[in-house]
Amino acid sequence: MSTLLEVSGLRVAVGGKEILTGLDLVVRPGEVHAIMGPNGSGKSTLAHVLSGRDGYVVTGGSVSYQGLDLLAMAPEERARAGLFLGFQYPVEIPGVSNVYLLRSALNARRSARGESEIDAAGFLRLVKARARLMQMDESFLQRGVNEGFSGGEKKRNEIFQMAVLEPVLAILDETDSGLDIDALKIVSNGVNSLRDPARAFILVTHYQRLLDYIRPDFVHVLAGGRIIRTGDHTLALELEADGYEQILAAAST
Amino acid sequence: MAQSTVRDEPRDQTAASRPWQVAAEQLSNTASGLDWLTERRTAALVRADCLGLPDQSQEEWRYTSLTPFARRWLDHLAGARLPAVPEPVPPTLAGVFSVDIVDGRLCAPLLATPPGLTIQSLQNLGAEWRTRVEALLGSVVSPTDTSASDSLVDLNTALLTDVVLVTTEPGASVAMPIHIRLQATAASALCQTRLLVDLAAGSRLTLSLEFTGTAAVLVNAVSQMCLGRDSELNLVRVQALPDDGMLLESTSIEAKDSAAVTVTSVDLGGQLSRQSLTVRLAGTGASATVHGLFLADGQRHIDNRTRLQHEAPSTTSREFFRGIAADRGHGVFSGKIIVQPGAAGSNAALTNRNLLLTTTAEIDTKPELEIYVDDVRCSHGATTGQLDANALFYLQSRGLDLSTARQVLTAAFLRDSLTGIPLPELRERLEARLESRLQAQSGAAR
Repeated sequence: MSTLLEVSGLRVAVGGKEILTGLDLVVRPGEVHAIMGPNGSGKSTLAHVLSGRDGYVVTGGSVSYQGLDLLAMAPEERARAGLFLGFQYPVEIPGVSNVYLLRSALNARRSARGESEIDAAGFLRLVKARARLMQMDESFLQRGVNEGFSGGEKKRNEIFQMAVLEPVLAILDETDSGLDIDALKIVSNGVNSLRDPARAFILVTHYQRLLDYIRPDFVHVLAGGRIIRTGDHTLALELEADGYEQILAAAST
Repeated sequence: MAQSTVRDEPRDQTAASRPWQVAAEQLSNTASGLDWLTERRTAALVRADCLGLPDQSQEEWRYTSLTPFARRWLDHLAGARLPAVPEPVPPTLAGVFSVDIVDGRLCAPLLATPPGLTIQSLQNLGAEWRTRVEALLGSVVSPTDTSASDSLVDLNTALLTDVVLVTTEPGASVAMPIHIRLQATAASALCQTRLLVDLAAGSRLTLSLEFTGTAAVLVNAVSQMCLGRDSELNLVRVQALPDDGMLLESTSIEAKDSAAVTVTSVDLGGQLSRQSLTVRLAGTGASATVHGLFLADGQRHIDNRTRLQHEAPSTTSREFFRGIAADRGHGVFSGKIIVQPGAAGSNAALTNRNLLLTTTAEIDTKPELEIYVDDVRCSHGATTGQLDANALFYLQSRGLDLSTARQVLTAAFLRDSLTGIPLPELRERLEARLESRLQAQSGAAR
């Protein structure tokens, strides 16, 4: 199968300090990858660099997405090409309603593909169906983006947006943090329902808990800015049982 | 109408600092005034003459210079005359009762006013109202400092061409919003508008004032509003003058026992605009909510000075003022909350948030509290900054390009201030105008 994302020898510095130190990762359509690692290992940096956030200096390596040089693309170009970032800390934007954001986002994507704007009725059907999937009350649609949402509601809203935007590659940054068990199930259910042979996921997570509900094809352990071990879903269980220290120790010998 | 002759006086420094004398003489040559009004005019002129125009050495005027205003005014003096009673203009908003004041004069004839409401001008002023009007015109109280006189108010009294009085009957709930369009035309000299609003006890009124005009107009507007016991006023004030227009505006509102006033103020036009708004919470339990918004783009200078004065026990004030400045625009906000000794149990909060869209723009903000009693709850705060980088990235990560993301966030910032406007059509029109201006902004920034 073709490669969707290929990260080769990626080195990234933040404020003069190298956080990623030569990271390699290959993601094919349909795959679910979990990136795990201790705090400060560079997990969120990877998510941010892939989505195009400011303040990260790429000092080496390359990232190819659908054959394009991802690092040369503006954040909105990446989004329009099917990349989605689920934020660890979703931003509150009072005055911009959820539906407004989603319609703008969908239409930006469609116009980039040379398609016409989505019709109002079709859009409404889509968002309502997705809101039901995420067990979100329809009143959320008219509210300001994440405005006054609880931590769990914000994360649910991220997955809801993802479900509407139907990305090709979704990067979910610590989506499980701050979720109670019910919210975790809803979020996982949302992700699982979007699994598709044409769509890939990168789940960045500190804990194994999320992977009880979303079974990854690959688990990568990130430490010191590189992937030091890759396995299947059982690696996550091993991490849960033994902690990161053993694996880190094993890798350094 | 006969054009009055231009006085052939040398425009030396003295004349430049006291231009109103010339104007007043010209006005008295052409206008056949009412006797009692002439007395008021003369008294006001003497006071204004002593005080002179405000200048930047006064703290209240620190950021706003009237020099360009005074200079242009001199050039206009030739036109100082009583304008003809203007023709009514077709209404622009549906579902409102439209009133036009052109160059300070009430347009005649007014169609039947809504039940419970009366609108009068000097032409048809009822005898029972004369004393009241006379007292208000004789008032020397400054809207910015209630202990001092104010030359702009005096100037208005000295040079006014009409007085428009809006009154309600006791207990009347005027269902239809009143939309007063205050238009200035280039034909007039300094346009003086004088508006008096008197709400009887228990009455309710929604009133919107919209300042518009043709090119290069100069307006000096004074409004005095009195809210009787238990009355409610929802006031919208929109300054939409042309880019080279200038407005000096002094508004004072007095709220008696349990009266409630809501003000939404929007500045989106003009070259120089200065609003002084004073709300006196003079009766127990009176309350005021003030929402403000200005967009100082281009070369605009917009100065808003508000003063919320708690004079009686258990009074409440809430103020939310927002400003956006771009290009070489300059915005000024000074908001003062004063809690006087008699105002125990009062509650006041003032928030000012400003957005600078370009580094060449400037906003000066000065929130102040003056509290003379212990048992009160007061808070104030002001911030000035750029758009939130996290929010911008969030929108970009969803596919919006940077200039659209900026526009969306700026529009959201200002829309928040407009939600209280009780005239949906006016609100939508304002939103559209502001947003299209911001669109031009972000287009230029690219």
